[in-house]
Order: sequence, then C-alpha cells, then structure tokens
Amino acid sequence: MTLLQLEAISYQKQNKMILQVDELSLKRGDHIGIIGPNGAGKSTLLNILAMLEPPTSGTITFDGMKINPNKIPISLRHRTASVFQHSQRFDMTVFQNVALGLKIKGIAKNEREQRVHEWLTRFRIDHLSNEHAYNLSGGEAQRMNLARAFALEPEALFMDEPFSALDAPTKASLMYELKSILRERDITAIFVSHDLLEIEAMSEKLAVIIDGRIIQKGNVRDVLNAPSDIAAPFLHAWNQLKQGLDPGVQ
Amino acid sequence: MKKSLLAICSILFLTACQAEGETTDSNEANQNEMDEMILATTTSTYDSGLLDELVPQFEDEENVNVKIIAVGTGQALEMGERGEADSLLVHAPDAEKELVEGGSAINRQYVMYNDFVFLGPEEDPANVSDLDIAEGFQAIHEADVPFFSRGDDSGTHKKERSILEKADVETDFSNYEESGQGMGDTLRIAAERAGYILTDRGTYLSLEEQLETLDIVIEGDEVLENPYHVMQVNPDEFDMVNGEKGEAFVEFLLTEEIQDIIEVFGTEEYGEPLFFPVANE
Amino acid sequence: MELIVSGLSEAFRMIIELDRDIFDITWLTLRVCILATLISMIIGIPLGMLLALKHFIGRRFLIVLAQAGMGLPPVVAGLWVTIFLWRSGPLGSIQWLFTPTAIVIAQVVVSLPIIISLTYAALQRLDPQLKKQLKALGPTRLQYGWFLLREARFGIVAAVMAGLGRVLAEVGAAQMVGGNLLGDTRILTTAMVMEVSRGNFDVAFALSFILMTIAFLITFLLTYFQQRQVIR
Repeated sequence: MTLLQLEAISYQKQNKMILQVDELSLKRGDHIGIIGPNGAGKSTLLNILAMLEPPTSGTITFDGMKINPNKIPISLRHRTASVFQHSQRFDMTVFQNVALGLKIKGIAKNEREQRVHEWLTRFRIDHLSNEHAYNLSGGEAQRMNLARAFALEPEALFMDEPFSALDAPTKASLMYELKSILRERDITAIFVSHDLLEIEAMSEKLAVIIDGRIIQKGNVRDVLNAPSDIAAPFLHAWNQLKQGLDPGVQ
Repeated sequence: MKKSLLAICSILFLTACQAEGETTDSNEANQNEMDEMILATTTSTYDSGLLDELVPQFEDEENVNVKIIAVGTGQALEMGERGEADSLLVHAPDAEKELVEGGSAINRQYVMYNDFVFLGPEEDPANVSDLDIAEGFQAIHEADVPFFSRGDDSGTHKKERSILEKADVETDFSNYEESGQGMGDTLRIAAERAGYILTDRGTYLSLEEQLETLDIVIEGDEVLENPYHVMQVNPDEFDMVNGEKGEAFVEFLLTEEIQDIIEVFGTEEYGEPLFFPVANE
Repeated sequence: MELIVSGLSEAFRMIIELDRDIFDITWLTLRVCILATLISMIIGIPLGMLLALKHFIGRRFLIVLAQAGMGLPPVVAGLWVTIFLWRSGPLGSIQWLFTPTAIVIAQVVVSLPIIISLTYAALQRLDPQLKKQLKALGPTRLQYGWFLLREARFGIVAAVMAGLGRVLAEVGAAQMVGGNLLGDTRILTTAMVMEVSRGNFDVAFALSFILMTIAFLITFLLTYFQQRQVIR
C-alpha cells in the first residue's frame, strides 16, 4: 500500500533546474535510502518528500490524499517526523526538547511525560533528561533528536544525513538501535546519505540520484548487482572502497 | 522560569495600567469639574519662583488647572499667535503689540517691571562701568572682548538686539557668542569664560552666589527697563482657547492683593524685590 | 569641590527623607517609562517577528525604515508629536499636549524602532535549520512564533533593555510635549535640566542618583533574567 508518492516533480531555484523526479513511490513500511554525490539534490528531494519545501511543479500524494504543497495541513505534519544532519537543539532541557513536538501536537501532560521517558530510555539518555540541550555531546544530541522524532509515533520518518557528524563507534551503535526500532514499529523511513555503507545497513530499497535526477531505484541488492551506466561509476567507487577495507571477500 | 517571567510582566503591566488609569481619571475629573488653562510664560519669570506663589491661589479661586509652559518669549508669543495657550505673561513690548494688532491676543495689561543689568568680569577689561548701555556695547565691540548672548529670541535677547541696533553695533566681532540656552545657563557660561552679558536682574539675583567672577557694570539706564505684560489669547480667533479663564487670569494679576504680593516677593531671600508692580499706580 | 560635597549630602538627605516632589517625579518617571516600553513591546515585538518571518512587498523598505528610526533624535520625535497634538494640529481636540499621555506617545515613537529592529535582528540570527526542524513538528502559526521567540529571548530581552534605556535617558521630547509641569509631567530628566538651569545643583544631583539607580536596577533585573536562561 502506497504511503507517499511523487509525480512529475520539478524544483527550480533562480531559473536553474535543481531536481526532476518523474515518479517515486514509497510503500508503508519501506525503508528507502537515497544516495548520491554531494550537490546531487538529495536534501532537496528529502525536503520535498517531507513537505518542508514546495516543489515548483508536480503532485504529492500522502496516504491517498493529494497535497497542496503551499498549504500543508498541520494534521498531516503530525503524522511525520524529521531528523537532520546537524542535531537541532532548542534552548531548553533535554526533556523539554523531546517533549516539544508532543506539546505542539497537543498530547496531554501525563502521556507526554511517559512517552518522553520511554524514548529517552530507549536511546539511553534518560539520565540526561534535566540537562540543558546545549551541554550534550554530538552523539547524545543526535539521540535526543531521534527520541524527539520517535516520541511523535510518526507514520513516516525523514532523515537527512543523521549520522554524518558522528564518530564511527557512536554511528555504529546508533544505526543498530535505529534499525531495530524501525523494524519493530513498522515505520516508513526515508534516509538520505552519501555513504553506501550506511544505506546498506539501514535500508532495503535504494534510489540513486545524480545531477538532480533519479538514475536508478529498486532493492539495494538488485541495484548494486546491476548498476546502470550512469550510476555505476559512483557505486563502483564504493565497492572498491569496501573491498579495500575487507580483503577477505575475494 | 516562565512563571517568573510572567509574574514580572504582569506586575509591571498592572502597575503601568493602574498608573495610566489614574492619569485618565484625573484628566476626566479635570474635564468634568475643573477647567484647564495654559499659561505661556518666559523661563526667567518661571525660574524666579513668582508663579509658584501666585498660580496655586488662582487655581483655588477659579477652580482651574493651570499648565505653566515656561519657554523663551519668542516661543511663548508664537504659542499665543497659534492659539496654543490661553494667556501670556511676557516681556517683549514691541512683539506683544504686533500680536495684539494681529488680533491673536487681547486685553494686554501692564503688570510689573524689573530691569536688565549688564554684567562683566570684575576687572572690567573694556572699561564700560561709566558709560551708558549703548556706549558700553560700542566699547565692547571695539575692544573685542567676550560677549555672551542667549541668541534664543527670548525677551532678553530681543532687548539686547534693540540696544545693539540703537548703538549701531554689528555682532560680527570674533568674541560675540550665542549660547542658544536659557538665562541661567548662559550666565554660568559667561561666568566661566569671564565675559560680558545682559541679564534680567531677577535671574542674576537668584544665581548671584554661583557667579562670583561677574559684577554689575551698567545698571539704571532707562533703556534697561523690563516691563512685563499679561494678555489673554483671543477666544474669537481660536475655537479651543479658554477665554473665560484667560480673562480671569489677567484680572487676577491686576488685583490689589496680588500686586502687593509681587511687591514683596523675593525681599526675604535676596534683600530686594525682584519685580515692581505697576497696575495700581 | 565644595559644590560636589554639598550636592552629594543634600542629595542623600532628599532621598532619605523621601522629599514629596522628588517622590512624585520618580514615580511618574517609572510609570511613564514602563508604560511606554510595554506599549513598544506589544507593538514592536510582533512587528519585528513579521519582518523576520514573513516575506511581503515592502518588507525591505520597512526594515530600513525601522533601522533608520533607531537613530531618530528624540527632539525630532518630540517636535512631530507636538505638531500633531497642538490645538491647531490634527489631534488637537483630544487635548493631550502637556499631559503624561503625550510623553508616553513621544517615548513610544523613539523606542518602537529600537524594539522592532532588535527583535527582527534577534530572530534573523536564529539557525535556519532550527526553523526547519520546528516547522517539521507541525506547529500552528501561533506556536511557531512563540517557540521562535522563546529561542530568541536573549536578543528580545536585549531589545527591551535598549528600548527602556532610550526612554529613561530621553529628555528633549519629554520636555517639548510634556512641558515639565510640576506634579503632572515633570520627569527625572526634565527636572534635572530645569534644576541645573536654576542653579540647584544639589537637587539635580539627587535626581541624577535616582535616575541612575532606576536605570541600574532595571537593567540588572533584566540582565539577571536574561543570563539565568543562558548560563548553565
């Protein structure tokens, strides 16, 4: 069942074409990675999918409803959540940061507190609940952002390079936790990265975007085994890197 | 945290609202029960303290709230000409006559006079002490010694200009300076910089202690007489002018009782009166 | 030197004995300045937000206007307010000239551009990514504005302090539109100018201490409030 669909989307900035997508649809429960080199239009695509930026033309359908991108109903936003590259800390405590979305959504105080603590515990930062958000390390802050997103119990979760600012061990453990939560909750997840290793770990589906166009999409395995001519050089570089790191493969 | 902010804000707001409430209340009270009258007068008159003594009595008798606006004579007359005041107490006879002729003011009455004195440094570098005032101004022009003018179109400034004109003295000498300020400030500048200055006697007496370096060098010249007139602004010319109270104030200053108060005002503090009443002579 | 000593002792005597006139003048100053600042806040903060968050035709012009208005000399504001409130002026019939209300109006005119501009600047400085994150949480317009304002509160408090400082220090406009009437429109600054011109330096001293104390206390309170939010 399709949750989110883009059709004939184009996005221009100062008369320059940034992004052109003929069709992209996400099924409920899909975990899809969007990969491409820097400046390919990944973040723009995510912003359009998350309905944070209106496209120049085209249609967006969410759960069967056609969306006017210039007038997103609040109720629709309350069904999704977003996490960005540089963890966004509001000038308040960790608890308040996580509770912010629930407060905006109008969740009652008791339930709010219970949900916040549930997710702070899940991401292992419940002991920091009364700390000010500005005092957190990068990894802790990104855990806080994930807790904020999951506390909203979203149907779709949009993530823009959520791990790129983190060191490798932090990244690895957080990716593992995230993946298990996504599976357990059956949340549709859209995950932007330039790192194929992250994508392979996080998603089952993949879209390769180069120069503002989706070059290839499908199951991660299928795409990697048979990359198209344009996608191949970019994906090939990743494969070489992987083999170099792991000489035991061949 | 948020609560404390809220608390501070609401306290401030309530205080301020209450304050505003009070003022509106009193304004309403003024409009309902009490008339309002604007008296435009000169800073020198106001600073002497005479009006602080006279006006409360007038307010009681007439049940009126008097707003005393103390400005230069030029501005006071301008307020009269525009109907922004209800009565005027000023000391610039020629300009006053123009105002009456123009129809903006009526009922102009001679209330009192004092006189101007010419002050200079104790050493009197221009040797003016034996001269009359016109000759004195000429001597200062020739000697090019510091001379301070208010330059603010006040009564004193107008008087100074008429003497300059009479003495045929131009103000182009290098030590002629205009302060653009009131009498008290200009006197202090003259004292600090050891210059000559024309002032009304009242302001000089009230500040004498602080003006150690200055002495009276010329006084008593007929030209230096400083007559004060009161007049009401013509209510037929301007809708909002309070003609009733304006007229009452003119009459009030001319009553025997008030003239007697003027006669003795200042003697206790300065050993001599600041003003000489004329209405009953 | 002697004047300074006698001035100081007289000043303390007047403050300690709670001289009636001085108390009235101080109380009026507080009321007028706080009310003017509050009105400027109520008008200025939403306008600053509008300029920072909404794109509309004429926005740039309004921003330039508000920022230029920060340099508006109080006497110029005083002159304009006077002209409007004259009996012969457009608002003459309400008879506000030479009342505390006139002073409040003039002070709003001089402090409003400061509060608008500094609110605008405080919101402009916020990270655009943070705004995006907030937007993604699906707030209503009111919630969006409120939480951004909350994020910018350090700058907003600074804006209020700057506005209040301007209002407390201002003398030219209050003199012109208020007329310095005792017990009615005489505030600390206009009283000081008058007492100096009358040669009553001791009274002027007393008034200056009160003014400085008020300015210091209010700034201290606001700074304390501002810093408590930030330093952890």
